[in-house]
Amino acid sequence: MTLDADRIARFSRQLVIPAVGEAGQERLAAARVRVVGASGTAAPGILYLVLAGVGTVWIDDPEQVTPADEGQWLFPPTVVGEPRAATAAADLQERSRFVHVAPLPPEGAATAALVFAPSAAQSVAAAERARREGIPHVVVDPDGEGGGVVSVPTGAPCYSCARSVVSARRPPTAAGAALAALAAEELILLLAAPGPTAGRRIDLTRGVPTMRATVRLAGCACGAEIAR
Amino acid sequence: MSLSDRSALVIGTGGLGGPALYTLAAAGLGRIVLMDADVVETSNLNRQPFFREADLGARKAVVAAERLRLLAPTARIEAIDARFDAGNAPELVRAVDVVVDGSDNFATRFLANDTAVAAGKPLVHGGILRTSAQLLTVVPGPAGCLRCLFEEPPPHEALPTNAEAGVLGALAGFAGALMAAEAVRLLTGERGAYVGRLLAFEACSGRSRLVMVRRREGCPACAARPAPAA
Repeated sequence: MTLDADRIARFSRQLVIPAVGEAGQERLAAARVRVVGASGTAAPGILYLVLAGVGTVWIDDPEQVTPADEGQWLFPPTVVGEPRAATAAADLQERSRFVHVAPLPPEGAATAALVFAPSAAQSVAAAERARREGIPHVVVDPDGEGGGVVSVPTGAPCYSCARSVVSARRPPTAAGAALAALAAEELILLLAAPGPTAGRRIDLTRGVPTMRATVRLAGCACGAEIAR
Repeated sequence: MSLSDRSALVIGTGGLGGPALYTLAAAGLGRIVLMDADVVETSNLNRQPFFREADLGARKAVVAAERLRLLAPTARIEAIDARFDAGNAPELVRAVDVVVDGSDNFATRFLANDTAVAAGKPLVHGGILRTSAQLLTVVPGPAGCLRCLFEEPPPHEALPTNAEAGVLGALAGFAGALMAAEAVRLLTGERGAYVGRLLAFEACSGRSRLVMVRRREGCPACAARPAPAA
């Protein structure tokens, strides 16, 4: 696919970035991202995928919009009680004719995943599914004033190797929006410039991000499968 | 005092101001004054969350205020369709509890800095270019201000523009939301995370750096405010 004039105008500010460029923009357009969890906290992250021109965004969330989501980016008070995935998809689809946004179809084969699951167990399950599918994924661990974002390129140490076991998963504050946008940014960079990239975790502590490379835990199943 | 009794001025409604406004409204801020003198352009749409293709040519301040009122109907949203300039700056800054500067040019950034310092109001500054972001908070006290760090705006031709260098949209969202979270910290009586230290974050490497910013002797902005206690 070659970018047409409309896309060049629309994405001009990121086409000139070496980490994206025209080839990266084409990869973004070809991507199909499964987003797991679309709460108010996740909303900024999904929105930035759409604005960046990720071609297909599928939202996997069986819940309804709750009072906790109210007022958060995609969710005005009038939509409380509505299905979350469909509500978010309808709002996001209006924002760009270059993307397709919809609730996750039953047979949807994603090429990447972004995980904002509501519990640690669901995060592990969603990340494990992505790992088994062999697709790059980014997982968000919100925790009150901060939290962490784990980037897992294909073949990198898995989320279970990198997740924080001390996180209390306190309800996110205003910093939750920052964490969600950071997660989108990490996935956009992975999709735009694929290749041999190391896994990493960025922790946000009182507004200050700190990055470290992730390391495979001894005995983790992700290492055993790579060895085979 | 709860956030519903507090107020903020957000300069710019675009790449940084947009996410800051969304985040402040979601946090429950009672009064938000937003200002922008620009119209919506196609090149804004990769990163500015308020605007859609149907808004092309519309006044940014008007559109942003409409969208924000839908999300936060109980907040007082005031839209100013004008540039932040030396004529309106003092009155606007005096009338709020915190200033969030999401502007896209150095002249406005330095004016916001000087005005906030003179008024004794906290200011959260943010900037983004290509894949790098920086944040600094200026508050009354011994910590330095933007002019302590850079002295003067750089010559116009010294730095590339957004159009030349580009902007990674999600990084702008990250920085704008961090600015809002910092404003919330200040408004709730917490110490700011970027007071007296400039945070620089580079998205590709994932690395961040904190640069100490001390009050500089001879800084013309700080000269008018009381010297810190020894």
